[in-house]
This record gives sequence, C-alpha cells and structure tokens, in this order.
Amino acid sequence: MRTSRGAGNPPPRRLSRRRKELAWAVVFLAPAIIAILTLRIAPSVGAVISSLHRGFPGGVLEPVFSGFRNYSDLLANEAFRDTVVRTVVFNLIINPLQVAIALMVAVLVTRKIGAPGIWRTLIFIPATVPIVGSSIVWGVALRPEGPINAIIEAFGGSPQPFFTSGDQALASIMLVLSWIGIGYWMLFLISGIQAIPEEYFEAARLDRAGPIRTFFSITIPLLKRPLLFVLVADTVANFVVFVPIQMLTNGGPQNSTTMQMFNAYRTTYTYGSKNLGAAEVVILTLIMLVFVAIQFRMLREDRPTRSRR
Amino acid sequence: MTAITTATRPRRGRSERRSVALTILAVLVAAVFALPALWLLIGSVRPSSEIFGSLSPLSWRILVPSSVSLDNYVTLLTGSFGRALGVSFLVCALTVAVGVIVCALAAYALAVLQFRGRGAVFAFVVISFMVPFEAIAIPLSQLFTSWGLTNTIMGLVLPGIGNGLAIFNLRQHFLAVPTSYREAATIDGASEPRVLWSVYWPLGGSALANSALLIFLGQWTAYLWPLLVISESRLQVAPVALSRTFGEHTFDYGQNFAGAVVLSVVPAVMMFILQRSFGGLSLATGEK
Repeated sequence: MRTSRGAGNPPPRRLSRRRKELAWAVVFLAPAIIAILTLRIAPSVGAVISSLHRGFPGGVLEPVFSGFRNYSDLLANEAFRDTVVRTVVFNLIINPLQVAIALMVAVLVTRKIGAPGIWRTLIFIPATVPIVGSSIVWGVALRPEGPINAIIEAFGGSPQPFFTSGDQALASIMLVLSWIGIGYWMLFLISGIQAIPEEYFEAARLDRAGPIRTFFSITIPLLKRPLLFVLVADTVANFVVFVPIQMLTNGGPQNSTTMQMFNAYRTTYTYGSKNLGAAEVVILTLIMLVFVAIQFRMLREDRPTRSRR
Repeated sequence: MTAITTATRPRRGRSERRSVALTILAVLVAAVFALPALWLLIGSVRPSSEIFGSLSPLSWRILVPSSVSLDNYVTLLTGSFGRALGVSFLVCALTVAVGVIVCALAAYALAVLQFRGRGAVFAFVVISFMVPFEAIAIPLSQLFTSWGLTNTIMGLVLPGIGNGLAIFNLRQHFLAVPTSYREAATIDGASEPRVLWSVYWPLGGSALANSALLIFLGQWTAYLWPLLVISESRLQVAPVALSRTFGEHTFDYGQNFAGAVVLSVVPAVMMFILQRSFGGLSLATGEK
C-alpha cells in the first residue's frame, strides 16, 4: 500500500485520514496536556519568577523584581546554609543506608529459606501504612515512657530522649523513614535478583565462590540497574520528606531536623515570605536534580563493562 | 524427611543447617518490621490507658490486651475523623473517575493514533510527571489561591487526575491490543471515541485497575497538598485530620492507632475489590 503513493487517488484519502487522526490525537491529549501545563509547568515557572521578586511578608503591595537578591540573601544566611548542608548530609546517609539494608534483606529472603513469602510480606507491611500512620506509631513508640525505652530499660539501659534531643531527633526520623522504606525498596530488588539467570550462581558455585564473593561478583554487578533505580527513587522521595518532620519534631529541637522541604513550607506559610519560599523551592529542586544527574551518570558509566561481558 | 537427611548426610546436613540459620535470621528481620505494625493494630482495640500501662515492667502484656473492644473505632468514626474520611472517599472517587478517563484518552492517543511528534509528546508527558509533586506543591497552592480553588473539593481533586505512570501503563497495555481490532471497528464506521470505548476500554482490564489504584493511593495518602489548599475543617481529608488529633489530644493514642489502621486497611480493601472486578477481563479472550 505504501509503495502505491504516486498511483493516483490514494494520497488525498490517506491525507484526510492522517488529518483526522491528528485531530483526534489533539482532542484526546488535550486534558492531559492541559493538566501538565497548569498543574506542573505553570507552578514551576511561577516559582522561578516569584523567586526573582521581593515583597513584604503578607503585604498588600505588589512584589517588585529584584533579580537574584533572594538567592544571595539565602546563601548569605547561615541558618539556610545549615539547612542545605543538613539536607545533603541526611540524603548522603539515609539513601545508601536504606538501599544497602533493602539489598541485604532482599538477598536474605531470596536464599533457600522456609516460607519466604511470609517473611517478605511481613517486611513489606510497614510500606502499606500511610506515612501519617507510621509517624503516629513511632511518635508514640519513641516517647520517653514508650515501649522502645521500656525495652532499653529491660536490658539495663537508660531511657533515651529520641525526639527531644538535638543529637537523636534526626536519627529517629531516619528510623521512621527506614521502617517504611526498606520493605518497599526490597520488593524491587527481589524482582531484580530473581531476574538474574540461575546459571550465573551455578557458575559461581562451581568456581567454589563463597556467599560473600558471589554477592560482590555476581549479585551486585548484575543488579546495578534496579539498584540505581531504587537509589534515584529513594533520593527523590527523601529530598522532599515532610510529613514525619512536621508531625513529630516540627523541625526541632534546635533546628536539628529542619530539612529544605519543611523549611520552604515554614518560610512560605508560617513566616509568609512567598518569594523567599519560592527561591528555597528552586534551590531544593536544583540540588535534587544534581543528585539525580550524578546517579544517572553512574548508570551510564556502567554500560561499557556490561557489554563486554 | 529425616530418612532423606540421613541418606545424604554430610552435604545436605550442612546446607540444611545453613538454610535453618537463614530462616531464623529472616524471622528475626520480619519481626523487627512487623512488630510495630502489630503493636499498632493491637493498640487500636485496647483501652487507651493500657497502651503505656502495659509497658513497665516489660512483659508479654505489651502485645496482649486485657480486653478487646472497638470503642476506639466507634469514638473515632463518629467524631470529626469520620467526616474527614467521607471527604477522603469523595475526593478519591472523583479523582479516580476523572483521572482514569484522562489517562486512558492520553494513552490511547499515544499508543494507537499516528501523528508526527508522538514520541516527543510521550516523553514530555512521562518526564513532566517524574518531578516529585511535593517540590511544586507550594507554588501550585499559590496558583490555586489566585484561581479561587482553595477550600474546594475541586482543589483537592485536580492535582491527582494526571498520572504519568498510569498513562505509561495504559499505553503499554493498549500497544498490545492487535491493530486488526481497530481496523475492523473502523471499517464498520466506528469513530475514534467509539473504538476506544467499545474495543480498548473493555480490554483495558488489569491496566485500568492498576491505574485506578495508582490514582487512588496517591490521593488517599496525600497530606501536604490538602494541608496547603484546605483550611476549613469540614473539608479536611482523613490523613490531615488524623495528624491534627495526634497533635492535640496527646492521650487518645488508642483512637490515633485506630485512625492509622483505618487509613491502612482501606487501600488494601480497595486493591482486593479492584482485582476482583477487573481481574477477570483480559486480553486472553484473544484474536481469531
């Protein structure tokens, strides 16, 4: 049919059909595209524009264009710099930690064990509790007179001020997030491990490789893709972490749990500085994109070694 | 079992012992993750006063209530949380209804219709949904204020209707539908909406159920967005209402736990229902 293009009457008909399809495509795609433009693109552009303006907090005067003043003010502000550093350090710790634990758990439940399905389900359960619920459980469990302290005392320790001390609050938030996250990321890694052909493990066994050697030479290299996917997704989720911080510590004590997302929320709504808050959102997004870009680079660099195999 | 073990003793014995050790390790890991959830579930059916009363000295009482009752649930559901739950259900239902249609239309256009730049549009759609919603929630809420959408159900519903993953899933599913189905329908004079509605939609099956579930879960667990656009308590959704009661009455832990359980159980039930109602239909009906 395609070759008969110059043969006479087919072209006009095909053209009209093409045009009809295009018209329908426009109609069908319109709701989704409008949603993207108004709900995704417009606020992103709006945040950038707003971040370049200044206005009195909660004032009635129109904000005026001020270039990069908001940004230079923020970067000159020690408390803000601390928040940025805290957010980055938090992510540098929690993401590799969660992925590493999720990987170890995934390897464990894919080994020869009894009733693996039951243990996998139990480990996944926390991920099914909405984050508000998880925050409540741990908020109560880690109270001074809560069960975790009861257990610590039963073993002869002294009760810990989990959410009320500047030294422990952030670690406690990490605990809550890990309880939720590890089972979730484990699921992706389990399917990744199961996708590795059994022959690789058999070959390793024939070469008398022990479990640790097999893990580092077979499992990890062949799992790089799911591992990096999980790492990227986990990073994105942890950069915008908000609920447990707002519910459990409100950024304190002594700002020790103030992350950038919570900070932007507080600047915008508690302090009423919309323009400054917008600049904080833009900076947060940029840092997050840098992290994601680095991780994608890691993904790309791994290709040549794979094709050599 | 013992007979087999004794037959091939040296090798099997060792691997079996390792397997037992690993199983024990798996049980311990599973316990670490499941016990807090179990404590939550039990706390929701025991008297509030007992949640801490059972702790010292530490005993098995921590996980065994002296009496079981649904009082916490009753008090919770008849209070403001019950109302918030209703709002949550309404928002989820509306979002799923509109969202699945919007996503199915887009997926159909991106999978079936031939037009120039289709790949670019598809990439644009998927990429624009990859930016985490939280990052744009604050600027978006300011737009919603200027559009007069704060404190409206519409304001809660709108951000949930587009879902990149749902469009992606549906597109993959629609790509697998044999083109001859559409050709046959077109020869019979069916227009594109007709083809989508009477050929692709019925074959959507699990992909439609998955998309509905994705959209539902996104709205059901939403917290930051409702916090930003809703200030009237009569329109507040369940997660925000629950976090408010958690902050205010610090000693109603039983009710807080019951609320967390309700929030967790609803998605599970939803999953079950959607699987049942859509699971039966599939492409297995096949092409002749």
